[in-house]
Amino acid sequence: MNVLKDKKAWLIFILPALIFYLGTVFVPIIQSLKYSFQQWNGIQEPAYIGFDNYIAMFKDSYFWNSVQNNLVYVVIVVFMQVFIGLFFALMLSYVTKGAGIFRTLYYLPAVVVTVAIAQMFRNFYSLQPLGLLNMFLDWVGLSHLQSAWLSNPHTALIAVSIPEGWRFIGMYMVIFYAALIAIPKEIEEAATIDGVSGWQLIRYIKLPSIMHVLSLSLIMCTTGALRGFDIPYIIGVPGSATELVTTYMYKQAFSTIQYGYGSSIAVFIVIESLLAVLLIRAIFNSRKGDA
Amino acid sequence: MTKKLSKVFTGLAVFSLAGAALAGCGSSTDNKNTDTAGSSNAPKEQTVTWLSARPENGAIVQTVRELADRFAADHPGFKLDLQVTADRPSYLTKLRTLVASGQMPDFIDSDADPFAQELVNAGLLVDMEKFLKDEGLYDKFYEPALKYQELPDGSLYLLPMEYHMEMTWYNKKIFADNNLTVPKTLDDLLAVSKALKDKGITPIAVDGVDVWPVLRYAAMYPFRTTGNQFIRDLSQGKAKMSDAAGMQAADFASQIGKYFQDGFATTDYTTAKNLFLNGQAAMYNMGTWEIPSFVEESLPEALKGNVDYFYLPTTSNAVTPENEFFGNSGIGLGASAKTFDGLPKEFLSYVLKNYSDVYVAKQQMSPLKFTIDDESKFSELFLRIKKDMDNYGSEFAKPWDTLLDPNTNSVMSDLITKLTMGFVTPEDFAKQIDDAIAKNTAGK
Repeated sequence: MNVLKDKKAWLIFILPALIFYLGTVFVPIIQSLKYSFQQWNGIQEPAYIGFDNYIAMFKDSYFWNSVQNNLVYVVIVVFMQVFIGLFFALMLSYVTKGAGIFRTLYYLPAVVVTVAIAQMFRNFYSLQPLGLLNMFLDWVGLSHLQSAWLSNPHTALIAVSIPEGWRFIGMYMVIFYAALIAIPKEIEEAATIDGVSGWQLIRYIKLPSIMHVLSLSLIMCTTGALRGFDIPYIIGVPGSATELVTTYMYKQAFSTIQYGYGSSIAVFIVIESLLAVLLIRAIFNSRKGDA
Repeated sequence: MTKKLSKVFTGLAVFSLAGAALAGCGSSTDNKNTDTAGSSNAPKEQTVTWLSARPENGAIVQTVRELADRFAADHPGFKLDLQVTADRPSYLTKLRTLVASGQMPDFIDSDADPFAQELVNAGLLVDMEKFLKDEGLYDKFYEPALKYQELPDGSLYLLPMEYHMEMTWYNKKIFADNNLTVPKTLDDLLAVSKALKDKGITPIAVDGVDVWPVLRYAAMYPFRTTGNQFIRDLSQGKAKMSDAAGMQAADFASQIGKYFQDGFATTDYTTAKNLFLNGQAAMYNMGTWEIPSFVEESLPEALKGNVDYFYLPTTSNAVTPENEFFGNSGIGLGASAKTFDGLPKEFLSYVLKNYSDVYVAKQQMSPLKFTIDDESKFSELFLRIKKDMDNYGSEFAKPWDTLLDPNTNSVMSDLITKLTMGFVTPEDFAKQIDDAIAKNTAGK
């Protein structure tokens, strides 16, 4: 094991991964930053235009609309993945027999291909031909609530957010479950002996014990949702009702061939994600201070 | 310990996640230029690359592959590398990335859109008019097929490989049951649709996901009243959506939108077609490339003998004759000016000279003039439409999305969907389109 104490050996071991990481992640980020100060359609020579792309971005009502949509998307996705995931994990932690079956079942959507999930939900929401959701509404006598959920601009955004939230509930559940069962039994037993029960046990013992996992999950989930792309891109309504920042970035860069403008939106996404992380960490750290 | 660990994790997670968002903008495909020269004695090895947006097993690709094999027999060393990406957005991304990284293939597919214009301006595409005239092929094409491929200034840099007309397919039984006749005018079309809807029948099935089938309806009125003038002027900022012709278009689109199937904005191509084929919708607007779906033997039992078609209805003050309507010659074929001279040129000439023989035998309408000698080999429907084609006027109605600049197009797809769904008024629609065009044509 002495070899690991040698700084040079250590460096050699870590170097390949570091180079790979820098090349695949860092270089593109820097390059995007460069593009974001240029006007470039891929054919002519790129021209430096300073902050014009950013100025145009802040004046672009379609961009702000996509930011607004994205926030709604984040709220729905985070609520479903983290809170419902946590709820299921708590439930599951009380199940002694057959927990494995539940775990597998809930995890299943996370391994299905995104396109398949998107298509499945498109059919699920459809009104003509009649999809499962509207069929169900009819069946329980709520046929007046039937709607083309994905097409209707009032419900479209929620309708494209739900599949994304739904598919990873199981994944977060497994993460939380693993953290919950790792809480030492002694603590729980001691608390029970002291007369703590039910909700109190969860509130004062279980949740504080998995705080670090919660904060990590929240960060992963929030940044994931801020960069959400695939499902809204595949089944979203043509147009702005389900436009997210990432889909808008893609359209600007590749459909309307403004690589510079698209890159400036990409830079916005990075900054937005970093801010979200700092915010979540600040909240959790201040909580820790209280305790 | 856990705090430190979570810090490390957080950092890693953020950077790798954020990086993925950016990677899309910076990556480039490392598609090598495949021209390779062999030794001077052996036959010269040359691979001609064609990046194509056409369906993988479609008639065009099959035809070109067959012709390439024949061509290779006379030209040892020749190889065609045909790379097919049928999904249009993916194709365009691939093409634009290759062009951006200076690796344009020998042949590409492109619409006569502003991107093609940029390629021409940069001197990257071969002048096809000159090529065709040099080869004596110019007059061998059907005129509308070539005209469709022209850029707004009338120059020709793209070649048609297919030839289609668009029509409204309708369910004869539904029409007869409800005492309806084929609409002669666009107002009749609205009246017929209303009558059907009142009876609880879905009048029109439309593919809203791809937007263009919806956009066609907006383009109908102006084509009848102005020809392609309105959309040409609109795209160059010389006309406004809020002008009389534009408002007529917007009003018509908002009216006809009521008669599409519910939730059409998220109905895809196949689902829309199936709505019609299952008898759940009375009309379906689609082109001759769908002939194979509508010939008797492929129709479902209930629809056999019950499908017919009509072309674009007219208007009272129409300036275009009834035998001109929407049609297209598909995405065009362009050649890289850098590599064209030599084998690629020879190959293209060979393909065009033999194209119709192979292509028409696959029950397809060729853009190169052809006659049918043995009618028994073709379906009745095909022969009937071939006659219509021979009687066609001189110019196709231009789809709007091939003329508008990409930015306006993206605003247009948003607004046309909202307009036909009834979520914006024709006035708001016109105003927002005008704003977008003013903004996007300002710098040009």
